[in-house]
Amino acid sequence: MLGVASYLVFFLCVVLVLCILTMGLNLQWGFTGLFNAGVAGFYAIGGYTHAILTAAPNPQLMGNYGLPWLVGIIAAMLVTALAATLIGLITIRLRGDYLAIATFGIGIMIQLVSLNLESWTGASQGITRIPKPLATWFDAPLSYNLFYLVFMVAVVALVYWALERILSSPWGRVLRAIREDEAAASSLGKSPLSYRLQSFVLGSTLMGLAGALYVTFIGFVSPFDFLPILTFQVWAMLIVGGSGNNRGAMIGALVVWGIWAASGVAVSKWVPPSHAAQGAAIQVILIGLTLVLMLLYKPRGLIGERSVVSRHLVW
Amino acid sequence: MILQALTDGVFTGAIVSLGAIGLSLTLQIMRFANFAHAEFMTIGAYLALAVVTFIGPGTPTMGLSFGWQLLLAALLASVLAGAMSWWLDLLVFRPLRRSGAASLVLVFAAFGAALVLRHILVLIWGHDSYFYTRELQLGVMILPGMRVLPDQVFILALTVLLVIVLHLYLTFHRTGIAMRAMAESPTLAQVCGIRVDSVVRTTWLISGFMAAMAGVFSGLTPQLHPELGSNLLLSVFAAAIFGGVGSLPGAVIGGLLVGIAENLFLLVANPGYKPAMPFLLLLGVLWLRPQGLLGEKSS
Amino acid sequence: MSSSTSLGVGRWLAGLLLAAALPAAMAQAPACPVKVGGILPLTGSMAPITKKIAQAAELAIEHVNQGGGIKSCPVQFILRDDQGQPTVGVDAAKYLVEVERVQAFTGTISSGVTGPIISAVTAPSKVVQISCCSSASNFTDGRSGGYFFRTLPTSKTQAYATASEVNRRGMKRLAVIYVNTDFGTDMLRFYRGAHKKLGGEILAEVPYNDNQPNYRAEVTRALASKPEALLLIGFPKDAVTIVREWLSQGGPRKVALNNSMRTMDFVNGVGGQFVEDFFGMDNAQEPGPHVDAFNEAFLKKWNADSKGPGVHTQYDAVMVMALAMNIAKDLSGPSIREAVRRVHTPGGTPVGTGPAEFKKALELIRAGKPIKYFGATGPIEFDANGDVSGPALVWKITGGQIVTDRTISLTEMQALTRRVEE
Repeated sequence: MLGVASYLVFFLCVVLVLCILTMGLNLQWGFTGLFNAGVAGFYAIGGYTHAILTAAPNPQLMGNYGLPWLVGIIAAMLVTALAATLIGLITIRLRGDYLAIATFGIGIMIQLVSLNLESWTGASQGITRIPKPLATWFDAPLSYNLFYLVFMVAVVALVYWALERILSSPWGRVLRAIREDEAAASSLGKSPLSYRLQSFVLGSTLMGLAGALYVTFIGFVSPFDFLPILTFQVWAMLIVGGSGNNRGAMIGALVVWGIWAASGVAVSKWVPPSHAAQGAAIQVILIGLTLVLMLLYKPRGLIGERSVVSRHLVW
Repeated sequence: MILQALTDGVFTGAIVSLGAIGLSLTLQIMRFANFAHAEFMTIGAYLALAVVTFIGPGTPTMGLSFGWQLLLAALLASVLAGAMSWWLDLLVFRPLRRSGAASLVLVFAAFGAALVLRHILVLIWGHDSYFYTRELQLGVMILPGMRVLPDQVFILALTVLLVIVLHLYLTFHRTGIAMRAMAESPTLAQVCGIRVDSVVRTTWLISGFMAAMAGVFSGLTPQLHPELGSNLLLSVFAAAIFGGVGSLPGAVIGGLLVGIAENLFLLVANPGYKPAMPFLLLLGVLWLRPQGLLGEKSS
Repeated sequence: MSSSTSLGVGRWLAGLLLAAALPAAMAQAPACPVKVGGILPLTGSMAPITKKIAQAAELAIEHVNQGGGIKSCPVQFILRDDQGQPTVGVDAAKYLVEVERVQAFTGTISSGVTGPIISAVTAPSKVVQISCCSSASNFTDGRSGGYFFRTLPTSKTQAYATASEVNRRGMKRLAVIYVNTDFGTDMLRFYRGAHKKLGGEILAEVPYNDNQPNYRAEVTRALASKPEALLLIGFPKDAVTIVREWLSQGGPRKVALNNSMRTMDFVNGVGGQFVEDFFGMDNAQEPGPHVDAFNEAFLKKWNADSKGPGVHTQYDAVMVMALAMNIAKDLSGPSIREAVRRVHTPGGTPVGTGPAEFKKALELIRAGKPIKYFGATGPIEFDANGDVSGPALVWKITGGQIVTDRTISLTEMQALTRRVEE
């Protein structure tokens, strides 16, 4: 039982990181109607910034300054915000699915930069020895992970609370107005583009934060952490949980990541190793089917959006 | 070297063009980005493989690495892939449209469907590489610094032929004209008595057919594997949007340009960034001329 | 806020208590069956080569069980897919270690997945991990706490040996096309130094990303430098595409390959008649009864030849794990870690592959005598970092078949290393 608890603690830490990622996306999609298909890219910027600043020095790499953990976290958010501003300025005018394709491409380019910029990112070898906060206070992995779990719960609670406050503030109301009827909102003197950009940057900053928190939990980062499949997973979490709803985002993160992990266990238990590859293919098929079925039969997700306005999208 | 890059680009681009045509049609008429389009390229390739397993690729004729049997296999596979493309619409996209889902939800559903389709292929054929034929063609030097494979010339000629046929269809055949009307304005088209259902069906049939053709010839050079389509997805999107959504010649030009740009880019830049190339192109287009080269400004 | 503070403190205390209880729990006598884990990319871009690797692992488990198991218990092998995605791999590793309670595990292939596993599971939980195929050189730099081992020599051996052979064949002006992953860049780095030191010149270095539909542009770029030969570092599936492009465009037919290409998939993929006299390196599977026994056993069980990247090293990884777990005084992580190096003790009795040899090894272990394991790859001796160094061999393709050209013994390798690194 101890082992199961230990695993669950670890599992939940990862889920909480994904919660932050999903809530960031929720701000962009659920509340602003922006289809950001480059989630992995912003996650990467945050993760790598933190790694480059805090990792132990390595003669083969530039960077790795060994700076304090908190500096890494704050820097990760700032750098991601900056990148999101630049990217947003380029892409925010694009309509719906063009924005999706553009951000998808940007996510891929960011990953390619991390793969090729060897002297800074270590390319495919990655960056190692990323310090965990307060690691020396705890002896065993379980006690440290428990601490990190508590810490993550606090962070997620903070993010949730902050987002709810922002969304019920005047700024948040304008955002929703723009999403529902852009013409009306701009006739009132609100600039839709400027609000969209702000929302995009804020959401992306959260993604950068998630990246830094993940990287420091695992202690290692490489370009393989930021492949397009991650973007797909986060989108699935949002859709399954219910977009436009932060609690939905968190539930989606738990459910989707839970399904992903559980199906892996199921395959390893019921499929003999020689057929494991086919079993694994079935696992992916089941995941894809679950998502498509969710979209067909429960499009509002497990917890639909609270409000009564339509899901009409503005392009 | 530049001449060779240009030549290679044209031939790579031909395959991308075939893929882009179908995507361009669905982008314009169905009005959503079908991320599952690329999987129909893979499906087409594997279906043709299934046929070829029985009848063989044929003895190499006219300098090509295959015989008429492969073409027959390609034809059968493409027809079937077109049908499967339509069934996917019936099963997934149409119910979503009927329930008023936003088009971006359709995009996501397409992504999920792509995942399922690709792994069904993996389930059946596994990850091993397959070949239509074991022939290896040696390039023929037609100009100094420019080598060309007979297969490549054939694919280019076939692409041109298919495009001409499709163009004639869209211009003169009733359903083709109906498709163009729907692309302009679905409401007005319905007012004129055009049956939306049959237009939608034809769109999917053609889109799947073209994708499968692209897939078969991609698989010819030189091998098939389950990621065949998804590896081309980004280039195909870039080509369709670059050329202008809904424009048939635009998709073709877009495909050729994407192919050429990719090859030229590699002469100067670090090849590690190659997958980013179609996107740089796409971003440039979207920023400078969002309707693409030959598309019309959307209202 | 005060209630949550006390909650936080309470959890902290609970954590301490649990942490104190852990080591005691882990050092108990094993309950049968003994569980051993495996993590491999069964789906994802590495999948084409993983199938045989998984089969090699399964074969090893079968031999172990037939030869007597671990500490007189049968062995249960639990294999998980990491899908080529680090988060999935780490989750699988944590599950194997905490819930399934595996005492040791093998895996994985992609360094992007092995890295976080070492960092988040292997080192903190102190569980031995032996990889067949993860070649990034920074894994054995001590941060795994000594719990990570791998049965494949670092790229250094292969790179130096390749440079030596390339030099011997007089291929001085070379173009290199290499896969843009840790494996490719690592090997290129070592190769570059050796090639130049031996008097050669690298005219072009062209990276390629795997899983692309075609590589015409990369090949064109390599050919533009007008080399007399090509060195291709990568994996069979894309290598077939690249080599076909190379030949189609009239590239010179002097091609050097790395060990992954030593498989009929590659030869048949390009076409036997086109790859005559291509050559490559591999870790020496010294011809001898032990290697042959493995090849035969593999063929018999799976009806497929055992040639391919990672197959032999995976078999050895599992066998080494099983032998170490028998040598170890108990099945705790630190004990197994210490026992791994005693799998190959100088002066020990040689034991080889297969169930009979394993049984023999168990008897020796029970009698307290040292053993010296000769595996499917050759003698497996771990250095201070957990790496294996060893002799190399040159293979070449003749008449559509892969044959061994010559071997480079350990002494020759050591001399070569000295010459390159001086």
